Amino acid sequence: MEFKQIKELIAGACKKHGVEEFEIYYSIGENINAETLKNEISAFSSGESAEVAFRCIVNGHMGYSSTSYFDEDELEDLVLRAVDNAKVIENDDVVVIFKGSESYAKTTAPEPKMVEASELKKCALELQKKTYDYSDTVVDGTQSIAISFRDEIYLYNSHGLELSNKVGMTGCYVAAVVNKDGESRDNFEFAESIYGEKVDELPAKAVNGALDKIGASEIPTGKYNVVIDGTQMRSILSAFSPSFSAKNALLGMSLLKGKEGEKIAADIVTIVDDPMREGCPVQTSFDNEGVATYKKNVVENGVLKTLLYDLTTAIKTGKTTTGNGVRGGGVRPYNFGIMAGENTLEELFSKAENGVYVTGVKGLHAGANSITGDFSVESEGFLIENGKKASPVKSFVISGNFFELLKNIDSLSNEVKWGIPGGFTVFGSPDILVKDMTVAGK
Amino acid sequence: MISRILLEDVLAAAMSTGADFAEVYAEKTRNNGMRFLDGKIDTVSDDMVSGVGIRAFIGTRTVYATTTDLSRAGLIRCAKAVADALGESKLQVSINLTERIFPNIHPVKILPGSSLLTTRTDILKDACFAAKETDEKIKQVMGNLTSVDHTILVANSEGLYTSDRHVRTRIAVSAVASDGHENQSGSCSPGRGMGLEMFDFINPREVGKVAADQALVNLRADYCPAGQMTVAIENGFGGVIFHEACGHSLEATSVGTGTSQMCGKLGQKIANEKVTAIDDGTIPGAWGSVNIDDEGTPTQRNVLIENGILKSYMIDRLGSRRMNMAMTGNGRRQGFMFEPTSRMTNTFIANGNDKNEDIIKSIEYGLYAKSMGGGSVNPLTGEFNFGVSEGYIVRNGEICEPVRGASLVGTGSQILMDIDMVGQNLATAQGMCGSSSGSVPTDVGQPLIRVSKITVGGRR
Repeated sequence: MEFKQIKELIAGACKKHGVEEFEIYYSIGENINAETLKNEISAFSSGESAEVAFRCIVNGHMGYSSTSYFDEDELEDLVLRAVDNAKVIENDDVVVIFKGSESYAKTTAPEPKMVEASELKKCALELQKKTYDYSDTVVDGTQSIAISFRDEIYLYNSHGLELSNKVGMTGCYVAAVVNKDGESRDNFEFAESIYGEKVDELPAKAVNGALDKIGASEIPTGKYNVVIDGTQMRSILSAFSPSFSAKNALLGMSLLKGKEGEKIAADIVTIVDDPMREGCPVQTSFDNEGVATYKKNVVENGVLKTLLYDLTTAIKTGKTTTGNGVRGGGVRPYNFGIMAGENTLEELFSKAENGVYVTGVKGLHAGANSITGDFSVESEGFLIENGKKASPVKSFVISGNFFELLKNIDSLSNEVKWGIPGGFTVFGSPDILVKDMTVAGK
Repeated sequence: MISRILLEDVLAAAMSTGADFAEVYAEKTRNNGMRFLDGKIDTVSDDMVSGVGIRAFIGTRTVYATTTDLSRAGLIRCAKAVADALGESKLQVSINLTERIFPNIHPVKILPGSSLLTTRTDILKDACFAAKETDEKIKQVMGNLTSVDHTILVANSEGLYTSDRHVRTRIAVSAVASDGHENQSGSCSPGRGMGLEMFDFINPREVGKVAADQALVNLRADYCPAGQMTVAIENGFGGVIFHEACGHSLEATSVGTGTSQMCGKLGQKIANEKVTAIDDGTIPGAWGSVNIDDEGTPTQRNVLIENGILKSYMIDRLGSRRMNMAMTGNGRRQGFMFEPTSRMTNTFIANGNDKNEDIIKSIEYGLYAKSMGGGSVNPLTGEFNFGVSEGYIVRNGEICEPVRGASLVGTGSQILMDIDMVGQNLATAQGMCGSSSGSVPTDVGQPLIRVSKITVGGRR
């Protein structure tokens, strides 16, 4: 069913049932995924999906429903279900179907195109061959995968607001498994393309990363100077990003409640939320509520400048929405990252002198509590000895409190390492040095 | 959902370039959600998911394609996309499907979707108000009541044509306690493979109270000391230790590709002889139970480990081809967007011979992990990590002061050997397990167990 027809059917059902204020959020997606094992394409998948999400205001409350089953009866039922749902809502939120922002920025990412299946297969097979060829320590179980996806989004509401966006990405990764001296280790590397230098480097990077972990020892429990790689610090930032939600703060579920304008981090820490980061494949000029997005400093030189707001929370607190609203209430960040500092990674090692370099953290979904800020996560990495990266270490746990960590950042490296997009959200961070962190080992 | 004749044509189209097996999976799923926040019903959602996934094999090579277009043209296009990606030969294939009806051992009494919305708001409010009323330090309560009504259809080139309906309900309450300086949280989230009759067995007020009590305990707890110690892990969600440390390594997903530490270990001793572990998708009304898996194979009771000896893996259709072993009814997926793979159902350590009080008495100094949080594992190395959401120090055989912020870290192979006492109060708890085939409901479980030595991550 075409969007035009869906729109007409839903608008017709709204009219029939006396629904005046409503919004339709329609998304269609395509994806292709080619996976290899043992130098063969082991799995190949392609998909197309479509979903229409509906919401409407009934007696001052917002009701929600969605469907991916497109027929006339279902689309009418979609409206009725949202109406019923709105009737049991008790909160005193002021809900809004948005009339539209004055202007919307233009996304700078090129129009996304799906890559041919044959190209993806070729890329995955070549990566697989290069990975096996790179070292005879590479064993079966080693995978290389190439992916391509494309999403189109259409927002339409009863004020006549119409917005659309197209995003997509093509990329590949190598998950290398090596066996050396009877020990197996794995390592994963990703590139946001299927051509070029970064892709050519993947096999070596993936294999060397895995080999580096062989022969890891355990370290005694104690306080260490810790350098956290940007790839891991961005995961920690991601785990605690719900703290930056104004809605969570309002509900007493964030320790950043009432801290706007206050110092919450070391002077060198600036955290930016940017919906249009140059080179990011998933830019957006409007949020789920139809509000124009914009770039802002969330933390500037250690001071919390603003939390992230949706329309309803902004109205409740007398603020303005920051264009981060999501369907169902609450917010999501876009390119949310700690900005780069001045040091090279090597300089961070020499500043640490002796300590631990963390290159992997696991189980953040379990070991990090965004309400309290506490985290305690299993990690792997390397010793830092005499200011240099030394032998691998494993099975230790770094623990602390995220908000204390932000205050204790001693130095930042000069490169922000951005992660893989999840929806419109990408986290980033430079490498950081923190002194005297608790590390639990043997 | 889709007629038998159309399915036969779709399968034939998927097989037309030389596939030796093809399968159509269709789902229609109604997800109902209700959220309580800040003293009030906050959001109600009602989402319908509908779509089809078509898969074909040549040997262990698979192609999978999905669509939400259920018209004849849409389905044939999807099947042709599968065929084109799989092979180049041109074959005329004809498929004959015979409908098969498997017995329903999880009948549902009260379908959540057809009950009054106010019946559901009452249940959720009962639970949340009970949490709030526990203590004035409870500053915030969040509750979710969710139900899933999931109908699947599976048809394949072996002639199978069957469907199943799986209903599940879950209530989750999390409470935040605050003393004005800091916040601590607690949660409780039971679920069943049932409709609203689940609340004949589970009192919503009790759920709220458990969440609130846990938050209050954590508020008065000091940070957990770090280091290696003896740990007693309580029943219920404590079973996450087995799920993470061992269960994932026994899935064909990792065994069949040679990336599991458990490869080639059938018949070998992999755990302390006190350990017997079972995966059982047939327990009536349990959270992880289904009549048939998402490949149309009936679920069964699989003894994974018996007295420390590895007896069985959990095997889906592709894994069965890779490993040349029979399927075990573990081929699962979240829905049509995901290709199925081997997953756990209800997985638990069976009761042992040790008395629970003896387990605590045996610990001179250690940790009693009363309630566990989630965790993750690397199936290649068996390294795992999971959080303790309510813990106490044990001193001279007695449970003493509460501690917070602890996590347990180790490797699967080691901890299985180090489970040296197994108690007698087996209970299960519910989780959503995430893997390559999406998020599926699984039960974890165990009685109280003792691990002689494990790394505890803490802040002191």
